[in-house]
Amino acid sequence: MGNEVMSILKKDYIYNLMLKGKRADGRTFDEMRDIEIKTNVIEKAEGSAWIKMGGTEILVGVKLQVGTPFPDSADQGVIITSMELNPIASPDFEAGPPKENAIEMARVTDRGIRESGAIDLSKLCITEGEEVWMVFIDIHVLNNEGNIQDVSSMGAIAALLTAVVPGEREGRGEDMPLPIRDMPVSVTLVDIGGEMMVDPDLDEETVCDTRITIVSNQDGSISGMQKSGDGALTEEKLLKAVSLACQKASELREVHLLNI
Amino acid sequence: MSDKPEKFIDENGLRLDGRRIDEIRPMKMEIGVLSRADGSCYLEWGKNKVLAAVYGPRELHPRRLQKADSVLIRYRYNMAAFSVEDRIRPGPSRRSIEISKVSREAFEPVVLTHLYPGAVIDVFAEVLQADAGTRTAAINAASVALADAGIPMKGLVSACAVGKVDGQLVLDLNKPEDNYGDADIPMAMTSDGEISLIQMDGDVTQEEFKQAIEMCKEGCRQILEIQKETLRNKFTKLDDVEISDDEEDVDVSALVESTLDSSEDEDDMEASAEQEEDETGIVEDEESESAPEDDEEEDPDSAESGSDLEDVEPVEDLEESFTDVDEEDVPEDEDDVENA
Amino acid sequence: MEREIVIPGQFLSDNKTDSGPGTYVKDGKVYSLLYGVKNAKKKISVIPFSGKYIPSFRDYVIGTVIDVTPSNWIFDIGSPYDGLLHVSEYPRRIDQDKMGEVLGIGNSALLRVKDVSSSMKVELTMRERGLKLLDMGRVIEVTPAKVPRIIGHGGSMVSMLKKETNCEIFVGQNGRIWIKGKDSEMDLLTEAIELIMKHSHTSGLTDRISLFLKDEDEFVSEEEEAVLSEDDLTEDTKDAEDESEIREDTYRKVDALLEDDN
Repeated sequence: MGNEVMSILKKDYIYNLMLKGKRADGRTFDEMRDIEIKTNVIEKAEGSAWIKMGGTEILVGVKLQVGTPFPDSADQGVIITSMELNPIASPDFEAGPPKENAIEMARVTDRGIRESGAIDLSKLCITEGEEVWMVFIDIHVLNNEGNIQDVSSMGAIAALLTAVVPGEREGRGEDMPLPIRDMPVSVTLVDIGGEMMVDPDLDEETVCDTRITIVSNQDGSISGMQKSGDGALTEEKLLKAVSLACQKASELREVHLLNI
Repeated sequence: MSDKPEKFIDENGLRLDGRRIDEIRPMKMEIGVLSRADGSCYLEWGKNKVLAAVYGPRELHPRRLQKADSVLIRYRYNMAAFSVEDRIRPGPSRRSIEISKVSREAFEPVVLTHLYPGAVIDVFAEVLQADAGTRTAAINAASVALADAGIPMKGLVSACAVGKVDGQLVLDLNKPEDNYGDADIPMAMTSDGEISLIQMDGDVTQEEFKQAIEMCKEGCRQILEIQKETLRNKFTKLDDVEISDDEEDVDVSALVESTLDSSEDEDDMEASAEQEEDETGIVEDEESESAPEDDEEEDPDSAESGSDLEDVEPVEDLEESFTDVDEEDVPEDEDDVENA
Repeated sequence: MEREIVIPGQFLSDNKTDSGPGTYVKDGKVYSLLYGVKNAKKKISVIPFSGKYIPSFRDYVIGTVIDVTPSNWIFDIGSPYDGLLHVSEYPRRIDQDKMGEVLGIGNSALLRVKDVSSSMKVELTMRERGLKLLDMGRVIEVTPAKVPRIIGHGGSMVSMLKKETNCEIFVGQNGRIWIKGKDSEMDLLTEAIELIMKHSHTSGLTDRISLFLKDEDEFVSEEEEAVLSEDDLTEDTKDAEDESEIREDTYRKVDALLEDDN
């Protein structure tokens, strides 16, 4: 079931397009695919979002449970992010515990949310040192057509924005909206033959040498970054990528997240 | 957690959600919803939300799992962490492994397994939201996904559950009936009325059991109609279309060969009906017979199915029950998920 | 002859001699095995909307090398079964340690199926006229069941395609089509092939595609060809739901092509 070998003809095709400034689906290098988001699709979850970017489809669920805080942050809620690369989503995914790709992507999404302070964890304290709210973000990939990283991060934010803390159900006060105070957005670029392209599709991901993901916040500051793949980036390319990613992030935030 | 209701059926014979005792919950399906999978089906039944996908037939690794004379069917029933009220840990549980096994066995009698020896057909059923009856919902979706993937089957499989509350048998349990009722009998039926999955959990008399089967059969019949409608409605009826006779009784290899010749011979582009003549003299070590066995070959796949089958093949015995547990799966834990 | 959509297990006929590909017989009656279109000419057969390519003797296929072993190349041929090309089936004599140089992982080639054993061991050959390494051009993937439509009656469709686009074309029975020509011509040809896929169940297609390629201004609907119109389309789930939507889309794409073309 492993990764299929990409034919040299196809690689050449993508490279030749790149040399002409084109991409296989007609996008420009700095264009993202069409995005569709629906929230509150899983009523039983405290928050949920179904998101489709191009052909990549992901369902993110947010569940809250009462738990114990970490000793060094006794008055703070806890975030736990996990991702399943379900075999349903691609012939290349195998059933079983998450492998390094899934783990890496989940942790990058997690850091983006955590470091931006998007969730006000101090408001998730029930009894200091004893009980806090644990926020489980579960990313369930349904169909992979590339760039699971960005699609899941966006889905996670959309689900969090509409999540409700189930105080009544757990007998810990009233229900309240999950306290969200930022909207980190992840933007990934790939390097193909020296050109940087935003929101890689499946073939572009396979062909690329390097991938770089940048998570940025509403105020333009950076809350997460990850380089992945077996290539390397020049400093200049990296900085350009960061700048483009922040710009794209604010566009995405404006169009898709602000009205949730 | 919710408390046990006083009564499940009121004076008018209506259940807690307003249904009659022999009424199934509303169900709707959509097929071909995933681009990577070979076949797929999204199903909503009550508040159940299930997504089934089929990959296959495809290569099976590791080799030691390959069956020499038939295809291996694998079925993976999996619940999303957020699908139930109390979040469940991702990964297989003992419950999901058992459900995967009996569900796979529900399909084995109908899939023509001898057509793809050594390969595997993978069926994945993801429960995105659970609302009692998820295993039967998954089977209903998986049936349609298998058809969507072009897997040859003797018929569709439909599934439903019967339970007992307030001493009365009821069809298609809802959550409270499942949690607090006296029996849960899920059943899957093939389209010619045979039972390919039956489980019983609870307490019923033999007489009640017989009635339960009849009730369930009726439920499965209704579901089969919904599955059929879903498949048919994907395309409207194709109006009168002429397919010329010649296109049907065609030796595709020879046709391809003839186009090969004409490209080699440059400019004579009109490959004529004398393609039969072109066949000879090209290949030294091959017999000069034309297409294998079948005359009407528009699809190599279906050609094999048709020509191999004169009568219905006897159902293959299951020598071993291959479960879908991969070597790397986490060791099973004792947690049992709330019944769904 | 009416074409009907059928599903697995659907009753087709009382007469067991009617059973053709895609059907089975039980208790003297014929039933469908597949989800597809019923075709009732001499016998009743069912043509599936989708399905994997299963190799058979003498098929022409396009494959990609996925592994090189000491005496075989292993090809992915878009099937649950890989194809093996033994070193002796290469057109010239090759030393075993040079195998990776002539055909390496990722290379694509035109091949023919030499043998399929009962355990589905697929042997390929390259030692026939026309078979070769494909080092340029593109490979398009289509549903294997639709390959006859691309070839056309007596090869008429593929001949017309070659003529109108000046491209080399090789149609593999495993649903892979190799094309080679100028970039703009290959783009147009790819589009034509997509149209053939969408409208494969209709008739008069060769002429309509030919018109499309020649005039490049519109793809003629069947209605205009005085044949009954189709309502809905074929198996590709990405297709637009109605004819007019596609034609608009096609106009736009063709316009774009014409702009790009230099």
